[in-house]
Amino acid sequence: MACVRVPLDEQQVTEAGPLGKERTLPALHPDRTEQRCFVPYKPPPEDSTPAEVEEFLEHAKFITEDLEWLLALPHDKFWCQVVFDESLQRCLDSYLHHAPRGLDLAAVPSSPAVADMQRSVHRAVFLTFLRMATHKESKENFFTPAVFGEIIYENFLFDIPKILDLCVLFGKGNGQLLHKMIENIFTQQPSYYSDLDETVPTVLHVFDTILEKCGLQCEGATAMEPMRLNAHKQPTAMTMSQQELVDILLYLCDSTTTIHAFLDIFPAACSSFQSRGFLSRLTSFYETMVPDLEKAVRKRNFDDKSLQEDLWKRLSHSCRKMVETSHLLLHHTCLQPILERRENMQTFAEELLQYFTSFLPEKRFLCDYDEQFPIAEDISLLQQALPVIDETRTSYLLQGVESAWDGAGRRRPESRTQDPT
Amino acid sequence: MSPPRLTGALRSFSNVSKKEDLAEQVYDLKAKRLKRQELFAREGLTWQKIVHFCSEHQDKVKQHAASQELKSLLVAAKQIVGDEHGQEAIESAGVFLFETFHNRDHVGTEETRAIKQMFGPFPSSAAEASCACVARLVAQVGDSRVEELIQTQKSRHDPQRTSSFGRNIDFSYEGYTLHPLETLSESSVPDKDLDF
Repeated sequence: MACVRVPLDEQQVTEAGPLGKERTLPALHPDRTEQRCFVPYKPPPEDSTPAEVEEFLEHAKFITEDLEWLLALPHDKFWCQVVFDESLQRCLDSYLHHAPRGLDLAAVPSSPAVADMQRSVHRAVFLTFLRMATHKESKENFFTPAVFGEIIYENFLFDIPKILDLCVLFGKGNGQLLHKMIENIFTQQPSYYSDLDETVPTVLHVFDTILEKCGLQCEGATAMEPMRLNAHKQPTAMTMSQQELVDILLYLCDSTTTIHAFLDIFPAACSSFQSRGFLSRLTSFYETMVPDLEKAVRKRNFDDKSLQEDLWKRLSHSCRKMVETSHLLLHHTCLQPILERRENMQTFAEELLQYFTSFLPEKRFLCDYDEQFPIAEDISLLQQALPVIDETRTSYLLQGVESAWDGAGRRRPESRTQDPT
Repeated sequence: MSPPRLTGALRSFSNVSKKEDLAEQVYDLKAKRLKRQELFAREGLTWQKIVHFCSEHQDKVKQHAASQELKSLLVAAKQIVGDEHGQEAIESAGVFLFETFHNRDHVGTEETRAIKQMFGPFPSSAAEASCACVARLVAQVGDSRVEELIQTQKSRHDPQRTSSFGRNIDFSYEGYTLHPLETLSESSVPDKDLDF
C-alpha cells in the first residue's frame, strides 16, 4: 500500500474488520483508530508534596509513552489517530493551555525527576505538532495539499490561539522549525489569515481590558458612554488589591511576549496586525499604561520586596516586548520593502514617516523606542534608499524625537546623542 | 491554576477555536491504567509462552519447581491486580511482573513506579514475592535465554519502534525568559509624580 505514490487522502486499505472478515475502506477512517485513551496534561505541582509529584510523574509518563507510540506509527495510522481520536486532541490542547512558560512565576520544576519528565513531554508534544504540520513526510507519505489544509482547519488541529501557544512555548530555540510549520499551515490553508484578521481585535480588546481594570479610559469607549458623576470609582493600579496588580502584570507580560514571539517567528502576520491599526493602539496603550503601572510597582507598599522587584522586571520586560513588536511591525511592513527595493517604495516611505510622526505625541513610548531602535538610523536608511525624501519633514521628526527626550527629563545614551539638524 | 494568558482570552472571546465540550469524556488515571493493562495484554509475550518457555528442556524435578514458582507468581499477581479481575487479567499481570523483574534482584523505585502506573496502589509484599519468584525462575532457565525471549517477543510485536518520527530532529528545550530593560534600582525613568 505504502509503495504506491497516492496521497493518503485517496488511499484505500483492505484489512480485517471487527468480525474478522476482510473489507476495503479509506486509509483515513475512524475504524482504523486505536482506542488509546490519552490523558490530559497537568502542570508540575507548585508545592510539590510527594503525592502530587507522583501524580504528575505518572500523568506525564502516560503522555510521553502515548505520544512516542503515536510518533512511531506509520503515516496513515498516525493521521487516523490525529483526526479521529478526540482524547489525543484534548491531551495536546491541555498541554498548550497549562504547560509552564519560562516567564511564569513558578517556572522552575521542584525536582530533577519532575524537570526531566517535563522535558520529555515538552519534546514529544512539539514533535507531534511538527508531524501534524507536515503534509509531505516522504515521497510515499503525503497528502493532497488542499485536502491537508482542509483537514487541519476543519478539525481544529491548528487554530490561531494554538499557533500563538506553540510560538511562546517552543519558539525560543526552535524558531526556524516553527517558522516552517506555521508557514506551511498558512500556505496550505489561507483561511488562517482570515482567522488572524478576526483575532487582532480581540488582542486589542485585551489591552482595553487591562486599561479598564486599572481605571484608565480606553480608546473609543469614553466618548460613547458618558459616566455619571456619582458613579462608583474604578480602582486604579495604586488602589487595587496586590493580587489584582500581580495578575495584571502577569497578563501583560504573557500577552506582550506571546505577540512578539508570534510576529518574530511568522513575520507574514505583521500585515494583518497593521491593517487593524494595531501599532497606533499599542503605542497609545503604552503611553497610558506604562507610567501608571510603574508608579504602582514603585510606590505601593510590598511586604515581599522580591515580589516588587519581580513585578518591575515583568513590567520592564513587557515594555521591551512592546517596543520590539512595534519595531517588527514597522520593519516588516515598511522598512523591509524599501530595503528590498520593491515597487511603490515611496508609499512605504510615506507610511513609515507617518508612523514616526504619530509617535511624536506619545513621548514616553517615543523615548523608549528611540533608545532601542534609534529613529535617526532608520531615517538615514530611508534617505539613502530614497534621496528625494522631504528633508523638512525628516528634520521636524528628528527634532520631535530630541524634544521628547528633553521633555521626559531623560538622557539619551551617549553614543547616540547627535544633532538632529 | 494557570496564570492569565492572552491565548486564554482569545479562546474565550474570539470565534476561531473549537469551543470546549464539557460533556466530552476525559480519561482519568484509573481508566488509563485499565486501558494500559488491556493494551499490554495484546502485546507479544503471553502467560502461556512463559509457562512453555520455563518448562521446556527441563527435567521433571525442575519442571515441577518451575510450575510451583509460576503458581506463586500468579498469586502475587492476583494480589496486585485485585480480586475483582478474571484469570486473563491476572495472567497478563503475571507477564508484566515477569518482564519487569527478569533482570532485577530487588524491588526498586523504578519497578515500584512501573507497577503502580499499570495497576494503581498495590501491597509491597506482593511485589517482593513476585520479584523473588521471577529471580528463581530466571536462575533455573538462564538469564541470557530469558532476555532473548523478551526481546524477540517485543521486536516481533512492534517492528516499527526504531523509526519514530522526529528521532533525528535537533530539538531545543530553551524557553523565553524575562529580559527586562532595567531593574527597579537602576531605573532611569524619572518619577514625575513626587510626593511632598
